[in-house]
Amino acid sequence: MRYGGDNRSRLLLVILIVTSLFLITLDLRGVKVVSSLRNGSVNAMAPFQRVASDIFSPVGNFFSDIAHLGRTRSQIKDLEEQNDLLRSALIENKSVLAEIKQLKSILDLSGKAGYKVVNAKVISQGSSATYSQTIMIDVGKNRKITRNMTVICGQGLVGVVKEVFASSALVMLESDPAFRVGARIAGSNEIGIISGQGTDKAILQLLDSQSTVKVGNILLARGSEAGKPFVPGVPIGTVTSVLISSDSVSQLAEVRYFTDLHSLGVVAVVIKGANSDPRDILVPRAPKPTPTVTVFVTPSPIATPTPTKSSK
Amino acid sequence: MLTRRFVFSGLIYLLFFAIQIMFVDQIHFSLGGFSIFLIFVLCWAALSAPEIGAVAGFAGGVLLDLDPSSAGPFGQWMLVLAIAGYGIAFLRFGDDSLRNSPLSLMILVAFGVIFSLGAYLLLSLLLGDDLGSAAQLARTILGNGLWTLAVAPFILPIVSRFHRIVFETRELL
Repeated sequence: MRYGGDNRSRLLLVILIVTSLFLITLDLRGVKVVSSLRNGSVNAMAPFQRVASDIFSPVGNFFSDIAHLGRTRSQIKDLEEQNDLLRSALIENKSVLAEIKQLKSILDLSGKAGYKVVNAKVISQGSSATYSQTIMIDVGKNRKITRNMTVICGQGLVGVVKEVFASSALVMLESDPAFRVGARIAGSNEIGIISGQGTDKAILQLLDSQSTVKVGNILLARGSEAGKPFVPGVPIGTVTSVLISSDSVSQLAEVRYFTDLHSLGVVAVVIKGANSDPRDILVPRAPKPTPTVTVFVTPSPIATPTPTKSSK
Repeated sequence: MLTRRFVFSGLIYLLFFAIQIMFVDQIHFSLGGFSIFLIFVLCWAALSAPEIGAVAGFAGGVLLDLDPSSAGPFGQWMLVLAIAGYGIAFLRFGDDSLRNSPLSLMILVAFGVIFSLGAYLLLSLLLGDDLGSAAQLARTILGNGLWTLAVAPFILPIVSRFHRIVFETRELL
């Protein structure tokens, strides 16, 4: 059974509605009394709201975070995936930059000497199980690469093309124990043979028993006939120590390669040597010493207080 | 007696309003959250006679119109809540089946909240306010209704107790 809703309450409702409409009209017409009321309430409530905000700000997002837990998890997963992608892109960029740097140095070297080169990317290192020191490059017959071509990088000699395939080639590194290259000491005509030792260092054997070698001498490839297998003038390494051997007729020396054979990314195959022997033009410049700042401090005597007699 | 009722009612209104702006408004609830003050006003109205319900709604509207976050003109909430308060009180006060069931009261209050928000929205549209996308508005209104259903069981006994103290009625939910 329904009660209520008599005339008195209806009249009251109408009065309240009319009052509300009257206030709305006043507010919309810009009557200042109404707006000042609201401003006053804002001013009165602001300090309390500030205090409450300070208290609740650490837990303000708690309920919405709970509701979005699944979404947050998937968001974290997405971000982690993006992070992985960006990280791999960054690594790729770094590797591309390193390759560009290597390529630039190769172009500098070959351009200076006047070699015609084909750039190649190292696609694999030779297996250690073969006991040989080789690399595989991504150019082969498709780029007119043939056997016994000199392979260089920005620092100098890398090796020689040993086998050529359709789109790749096997390069014997200068560190291979079977590797031999005729070398000339820069700034002179003294020649010798450098033999790989399977390490970062090689052995130089001078051909002339009267010749001498000194620590710090720079060795360049002497060059072969028609530039195969070696074009002349390519830097090989520097003498690090002179070996004394009683059973050897000529002098022996230990040589450190200029090329870091462990970090080869981009190399170049010399398909045509320079028209004339570049001689010492490719000798790497000695690094300029960086100035060091030395500060001298002169100790000064510290004034010690002397007792004085006070007169009374 | 009337003065006592006004004073006590006013204090309780202020208490819930303070809870609303100081606590509930500080927490970000999903689906737009809820208005504890709106729930209180409608509960208060639902427990009263229709004329008291209209006045209760109108009084609640005054405070909501004074709320800094209220975007509409002063009086808009008064109009909406006066009608909603009267309506909800009329529905409950006149029907025995609704009168004696707390669950019905909760559903009634939830519908009251949805109606109030919808009516406020409609008025705002008539007054030319920019309100955002329809999907967002629908989400807010329905979210408020659902939150009301979830929160009302906790608020209703408190409001009922206060109402009994102020009006000295025997009814207690």
